[in-house]
Amino acid sequence: MPAEARAAVDHLRRADIVVGIPSYNNSKTIGHVVQAAQAGLAKYFPGFNSIIVNSDGGSKDGTPEVVTSAHLQDAQLLMLHTPLKPVHRLSFPYHGIPGKGSAFRMIFQMASMLDAKACVVVDSDLRSITPEWFDLLIRPVVDGGFDFVAPYYHRHKYDGTITNSIVYPLTRCLYGQRLRQPIGGDFGVSRALFNRYLERDDWETDVARFGIDIWMTTIAVAEGFKVCQSFLGAKLHDAKDPGADLSAMLQQVTSSVFLLMREYQETWRIRTGSEPAPLFGFRYDVGLDPVNVNLTRMLDAFRNGAADLSGVWKLCLRPDTLSAITALARSGRPDDFHLDDELWVRIIYEFACSAKSNRLERATLLKSITPLYLGRVASFVIETANLGAAEVEGRIENLCLAFERMKPYLIEIWFGQPVTQTAPPPPARTELAERQEV
Amino acid sequence: MIKTLEQLLEGVVSGILAHLNSLLPPLIVAVFLFAVFLMAAVAVRWVLTKVVKGAGLDRFLKEAGLSNMLADRGDVHTTPLVAGAAFWLILLAGALVGLSLFNTQLTSRMVESVVFLLPRLVTAGLILLAGVWLAQLLSRSVLVWAHNECVPAPRRWAVVAKVIVVMVAVVAASEILDFAPHVFFAAFVILASGMVLAASLAIGLGGRDAVRQYLDARASERESQEEKSLWNHL
Repeated sequence: MPAEARAAVDHLRRADIVVGIPSYNNSKTIGHVVQAAQAGLAKYFPGFNSIIVNSDGGSKDGTPEVVTSAHLQDAQLLMLHTPLKPVHRLSFPYHGIPGKGSAFRMIFQMASMLDAKACVVVDSDLRSITPEWFDLLIRPVVDGGFDFVAPYYHRHKYDGTITNSIVYPLTRCLYGQRLRQPIGGDFGVSRALFNRYLERDDWETDVARFGIDIWMTTIAVAEGFKVCQSFLGAKLHDAKDPGADLSAMLQQVTSSVFLLMREYQETWRIRTGSEPAPLFGFRYDVGLDPVNVNLTRMLDAFRNGAADLSGVWKLCLRPDTLSAITALARSGRPDDFHLDDELWVRIIYEFACSAKSNRLERATLLKSITPLYLGRVASFVIETANLGAAEVEGRIENLCLAFERMKPYLIEIWFGQPVTQTAPPPPARTELAERQEV
Repeated sequence: MIKTLEQLLEGVVSGILAHLNSLLPPLIVAVFLFAVFLMAAVAVRWVLTKVVKGAGLDRFLKEAGLSNMLADRGDVHTTPLVAGAAFWLILLAGALVGLSLFNTQLTSRMVESVVFLLPRLVTAGLILLAGVWLAQLLSRSVLVWAHNECVPAPRRWAVVAKVIVVMVAVVAASEILDFAPHVFFAAFVILASGMVLAASLAIGLGGRDAVRQYLDARASERESQEEKSLWNHL
């Protein structure tokens, strides 16, 4: 931990709530985030000793100055510097900021040294954040005895397709907890859980560097911490670079999920089914911007992928899966295109097993998922073109059930043997008499 | 006339008998030794197949991605590979021992050259193997990258990458073996130059179209922002 952070801890000695805001070139939005945090803490937790920590990774757009100008006198604000290591500068994550893992580590270390009851981390590019978000993310930890509060956003049916088609169904089927936004980026964490995070020695690995969000969520659900969700409304944030490399983004996300699968293989092996995580907050509909997708381009990418990459897919996929994909790529009109749930589940499971075995070519193999993913998104868009939000959620639920139903297949190909022993998801670590709605 | 023929025949037969007298004993011994080595090779192969499980090595090959290089489905087992290598090495040793029994200039030279060539042969083989493995790895990587970046003809780019790496390995191996190294090097230079020339022509001829397409794309992108939303996948 840097000397400035240590000195701040020595000066403060104790805090009940720590709000962490990692940043990197977020001058346009961070002022709003800091003000929302201050207002939220003042309004909902006036009796608590709270502190806001901005951990900046060397912004060059005046982010620290904006934070200073947004600072109100009645709240404790700490501005720290997270030095970006050369590796962070060379390999930027496609989701989140460079060095976000290091920033989180420092925030958790401070929270631990200050003996905080709860720690909240929020993204610094949020435009829709309100003071209520802090109540919703902190209250379940402070008053409800929960260890991990995941966000639950209202999103357009075509928004967050990696979450909907891979991360949510896979995390749910593996660890048995239905956390709808496992890579949301805004989380509430209890003392027990952030201390557990700090105990781990994989902070410098790719998982923590590129996939800190799924890393946090997976540890919470896999190790039996008490988890819940809070409805935060819509998530509006600075638009990502439209030219961002989708294949690199997919590779980083899937690689993180698959590496954690390897670590927790004995945990998910025996879990069956899933249970809903408690959802706090008043759910309401939010007007969302329309999302336009280019179906032709996605289908072309899928078909060209089937022509070009079948040699690579052969290394990951079983012959029957590959032949089903090839047949689909050759089939009829775009309107009839349908990549069904079972085939998609098989693809993901087989890629997960392949990523486990092929260390040297893992990145290449995972990048080759891109056309398959675009095919799946195209199929989803066609199927849900005329459906409302609830019906689309039903479609995603069906996909999750397909993941759960086919879990024995995953166990069979992952461990090389059929499933023999199963157990329901374990009870949460923290005991609580009754779940409380916030 | 008949007498002359008889003399000639006697000469030939005595020559053959003399050769047989000198070569038959070592030949018999060589065949016997070769048979012994063959039996030893078969026995060693059998023992290795039964004793060496090689599960750890199999796992290493699989996890390192080497299995996929040796077999498309990655179903490579090290036990038969090790046993097969031991079998052929013992057999080669038997052949060399058999040849050395003849104690002629020719056989001695043959044995000597094989013994001296063997380490270089192994080194060259390893270089080729590493080259092919690297070529496979690189060509797959180029293929996936080119496809995802919508580069035209991704499979051709992958083949180009593979050919270049294999060619470098062949040149290096030929240097080690001292087997026409200049020919292979010249072939490599010609191939590389040809590729550069072809690429230059392609870029030169296609450059105008590419620039026009790029400018059109930029203009249409400015007009419509609809594609942006497609990228919000997380």
